[in-house]
Amino acid sequence: MIENKYKIKKVLIANRGEIAVRIIRACREMGISTVAICSEADKDALHAQLADETVCIGPAPAKDSYLKMDRIISATCATGADAIHPGFGFLSENSKFADLCRKCNITFIGPSSEVIAKMGNKAEARKTMMDAGVPVVPGTKEPVYTAEDGKKLADNMGYPVMIKASAGGGGKGMRIVEREEAFNKHFETASQEAKNAFGDDTMYIEKYIPRARHIEFQILADNYGNVIHLGERDCSIQRRHQKMIEEAPSFAISEVLRKEMGEVAVRAAKAARYTNAGTIEFILDQDDNYYFIEMNTRIQVEHGVTELVTGIDLIKEQLKVASGEPLSISQEAVKIRGHAIECRINAENPLNNFLPSPGLITSLHFPGGNGVRIDSALYNGYKIPAAYDSLIVKLMVHDANRELAIQKMRGVLGELVIEGIDTNIDFQYQIINHDDYKKGDIDTGFIERLINKKEVPENIS
Amino acid sequence: MLKEMFKKNDLTSAGRKQVQLGGKIKESLDEAQIPDGLFEKCDKCNEIVYSEDVVSNYYICPNCGMYFRISPRTRLSMILDKESFQEWDKELPVSDPLNFPGYKQKLEHLKVVTNLDEAVITGEGKINDTPVAIGVMASNFLMGSMGEVVGEKLTRMVEKATKRKLPVIIFCCSGGARMQEGIISLMQMAKTAQALKKHDEAGLLYVSVLTDPTTGGVMASFAMLGDVILAEPGALIGFAGPRVIEQTIGQRLPEGFQKAEFLLEHGFVDKIVKRNKLKQTLSMLVKSC
Repeated sequence: MIENKYKIKKVLIANRGEIAVRIIRACREMGISTVAICSEADKDALHAQLADETVCIGPAPAKDSYLKMDRIISATCATGADAIHPGFGFLSENSKFADLCRKCNITFIGPSSEVIAKMGNKAEARKTMMDAGVPVVPGTKEPVYTAEDGKKLADNMGYPVMIKASAGGGGKGMRIVEREEAFNKHFETASQEAKNAFGDDTMYIEKYIPRARHIEFQILADNYGNVIHLGERDCSIQRRHQKMIEEAPSFAISEVLRKEMGEVAVRAAKAARYTNAGTIEFILDQDDNYYFIEMNTRIQVEHGVTELVTGIDLIKEQLKVASGEPLSISQEAVKIRGHAIECRINAENPLNNFLPSPGLITSLHFPGGNGVRIDSALYNGYKIPAAYDSLIVKLMVHDANRELAIQKMRGVLGELVIEGIDTNIDFQYQIINHDDYKKGDIDTGFIERLINKKEVPENIS
Repeated sequence: MLKEMFKKNDLTSAGRKQVQLGGKIKESLDEAQIPDGLFEKCDKCNEIVYSEDVVSNYYICPNCGMYFRISPRTRLSMILDKESFQEWDKELPVSDPLNFPGYKQKLEHLKVVTNLDEAVITGEGKINDTPVAIGVMASNFLMGSMGEVVGEKLTRMVEKATKRKLPVIIFCCSGGARMQEGIISLMQMAKTAQALKKHDEAGLLYVSVLTDPTTGGVMASFAMLGDVILAEPGALIGFAGPRVIEQTIGQRLPEGFQKAEFLLEHGFVDKIVKRNKLKQTLSMLVKSC
């Protein structure tokens, strides 16, 4: 039996799928008992089978189960768990839930409710960063409520601009405005979308930076003011603001720039009084100017690539920080070795507008080998439920440099077999083999251009 | 299928078990437990809701939109400008004309439990800087039933308003006349009505707001005498109870009978106003005179 020397003895994982599996595995390695929650559709899911205890908390729809705060808290108290790991999505950035945990004497594995609320409000987050001297995308300092006010500011800023929802995420409530004449119409649709999706139509306006790269820095902070960064990830390969491929380190960043951006990221996290794991997102333009966009106050899907290049287990570090341990790693001790790439494999059909494709897995084969990491909740004979997002496998590779990593990923994508449902495996293969991708000439518009030009992969060799 | 396939016992000390939700009683303060009052249950949709959500949503169920009944002080804080309320006629002597058994003790107990001295709070305050005289009835004090003290407080409030030329707003909420005080309770119907008549003759505005439930002698007197009669959505407004009516007329009652929306359709209520819009509606009305 593994001896658990940490304050946290039992964790309830308020999530599902591969992240729940990831967290359960980390807990087991630390001798921490685990409680899984599952909806009725997830009773046979891997995370529900793997945990020490499982509590069924409701019917399939997330709003009736994984988002039901009172039931999750109840399950935590009933099983005697002393902490909750929220994973990502669901309640992970819900400040009310974090506050509720605190009120019930449950350790929330993440930052405090106040920090989540502050950073979750994009307009507020920008203001905090501006006050701390962190460069932000040129844009409004105060929130914008009307198209009239917004347009005045946009005209001043100069087009193109991006209208964004303060409470936004996942690409909703966002519109790019190329010309002045289109501003009012886009503002109205964006704010209506924001109101419908988040119940909040507070907007803000930013300068739109074309051909930008999405660079994010992983932050780790303990409860005693120690903050370090673990290098960056390049997540420029996105479709409709959803990431598809992530890599660490970024091809676009020199050692000097990395050091500078890393220091700024730490400064940003300190300004936000951040604790636990989080990510500072920057946008990098063609002239190597970087700007803060937002802070993600949770562990992220792509955390694995950082783990591969640094050798640091982020989930375990989260559990240690939440247990009250001071950081055991100094900034100097963080070394980036080699190159890691992650391809997100989704149960969707890229040939049919990426329509989700739930269903029964009839044949499954995972590749392996040196520097190959698979994070997934799939197993042979598993039936993917329709009620949740389509991410099913995180395919990661690690090698000495980017070129070797790409080669390895090609092999891994070629060996991966998932039958019975549609997946984006072939689509990812096209991207990995694309000349521009191999050259490192990528930006956030890459996939849209690929789709618009209907690029056929004639250059697969 | 992977059911029951994983060996867990050799890694952690926990065994494998299926758990029923129900909650254990916790002894130690160190353990996770849900403090009382953090959650509550909505009587309409039976969902467990987070109390803070209910409060920040004007005491409306965030799940089904049912209007929770609110205390007079909560109502006053929603309607009047901050710190503008001055209470009138507190602690009027208890009335027990029939020497009704157990009545006095019941009143004493309720005073302690509700922190109210009777089933109505009256006084003056400001709505967006306009002075008003206001009365709010309490559903948690003997179901807002009207006895001599309630009638007296309301009457005095209206009379003061007449003298000082203030508009009157009354939030009505009642199960009817208070049985324990017999005919004295019924007399309050006439007493409050005549005070309002004098207020009306002085050319002053009286707005009544009907909340859930407004029934019996209150409905049959001052509640329906407003120059403008507003109602909260879904409020039960009627004189006799539905079962009594059905038994008397020998017919089934129509769908939604005695609900505010039904009354609006049939001309008994001027407007149904959502709770979060009440202050601005009342403000507009009192400023317009």
